[in-house]
Amino acid sequence: MLVLVPADTDIDDAAPASPPTPDATRDAASAATDALLLRVAGGDQRAFAELYDLIAPRMLGLVRHVLKDHAQSEEVLQEVLLEVWQTASRFDPNKGRAVTWMLTMAHRRAIDRVRSAQSSRDRDVKIGIRDLDREYDQVAERAEIRIEHERVATALNKLTDLQRQAVELAYYGGYSHSEVSTMLGVPMGTVKTRLRDGMIRLREELGVAS
Amino acid sequence: MTHIDENAGNSVFDDAADDTMTTEEFAEVRTALGLAVPPVTPNPEIKAALLARIAQTPQLAPTPQLAQTPQLAPLAEPAVDAPRLTAVPATTATSTREPGSAERRASARWMQRPAIVLTAAAAAVALFVGGVFAGDLLRGGAAQPDQLASIVAAPDVTTAVSELADGGTATLVASESQGLSAMVFDGLTPLESELAYQLWYITDGVPVPAGLFDVSNDGPTVQVLQGTFEAGTIVGVTVEPASGSEQPTTEPIVAIATA
Repeated sequence: MLVLVPADTDIDDAAPASPPTPDATRDAASAATDALLLRVAGGDQRAFAELYDLIAPRMLGLVRHVLKDHAQSEEVLQEVLLEVWQTASRFDPNKGRAVTWMLTMAHRRAIDRVRSAQSSRDRDVKIGIRDLDREYDQVAERAEIRIEHERVATALNKLTDLQRQAVELAYYGGYSHSEVSTMLGVPMGTVKTRLRDGMIRLREELGVAS
Repeated sequence: MTHIDENAGNSVFDDAADDTMTTEEFAEVRTALGLAVPPVTPNPEIKAALLARIAQTPQLAPTPQLAQTPQLAPLAEPAVDAPRLTAVPATTATSTREPGSAERRASARWMQRPAIVLTAAAAAVALFVGGVFAGDLLRGGAAQPDQLASIVAAPDVTTAVSELADGGTATLVASESQGLSAMVFDGLTPLESELAYQLWYITDGVPVPAGLFDVSNDGPTVQVLQGTFEAGTIVGVTVEPASGSEQPTTEPIVAIATA
């Protein structure tokens, strides 16, 4: 299961006797993130500062990957985190993880922003995993982040080309179904089917909850 | 506008058109895709700006709202979720002792040349000017939130971040047009009861007390300075007796110069 790993958690020097598995480390980090968000919901500004340290680099990475523009991405980051503060009481840990709740907000706002600036979009149709790999070549020093990335990259490679392209365009590119249809030159119905099949396959490959 | 569907988990957008990218069914898959992107460390000023922002931004009440209720409309009553701003007591410096010459020399250095200089930071300030949340500023109540709101809403607001000696950060948020400034602290150490943090405006080497405060934990704290902010002023913080001092008697924990 893929979960948030704090930027300052280094699994290499975690426990001396029997190092925890990456899964255990991630589960603990995920639970810590849930607990922080619950404290934020109670008005705890200190918890918000700690939560920021955990989630802001992840949010900015994702938002900038979608938006490309760094300044705009930082604006979106601030909007999202303020929304996290305002609406934290709506997070229900019984219905999902805090990291999912927060990254969903960030992704939605990034897509809102990119779609509101359609005319200025100048992005490659084949964005996605190739771009991800290129970015990783520049920053790939943290083992646990590299592991997460490779799990997803491996899972994406299990998809058919059309499935993978549809997922990458829709998720990382923020393109609508009709845009993906135009870009890939296939009917809208086919895009929807491939996208759905691709997400189901990813869910199986990654072993994450539905 | 989004709304909360109590039957659909923690969904934050239920009415978007492209359901595969919004449905709760694939939330964990999307999270995995999102976490596969390399993290990018934000500009440190963004954190300080946010901490200042949340200190005056009410939170939604925990009670679920009806579907179709605009998401940010039912702001909590300030009485319930009041921002935890600590009012700065009026400066009543009672210390009549003259600082020794060594103290004067020590304080003279930072009063003339602090290491940190205020710079405009468009990205961090963008939060405050326009945008989705520009209308959410807390209105009414104590003077400090109002003043903080007028600083961050000013067109000439500037920020500067400085590291504290023991690991935290201090950020000066200032507006010359408003004649106001505020310091945002994160990681400030609580003091013993006989001590207090004292804020200073230092103009042409002359320190003027700008407020006393303490913190109960090392979480974020926002303090609006008393007095008038002018460009070129140095803003400093020292540890003083709880009753305050007329002049700084210790080395500053932070000093920020403005242009």
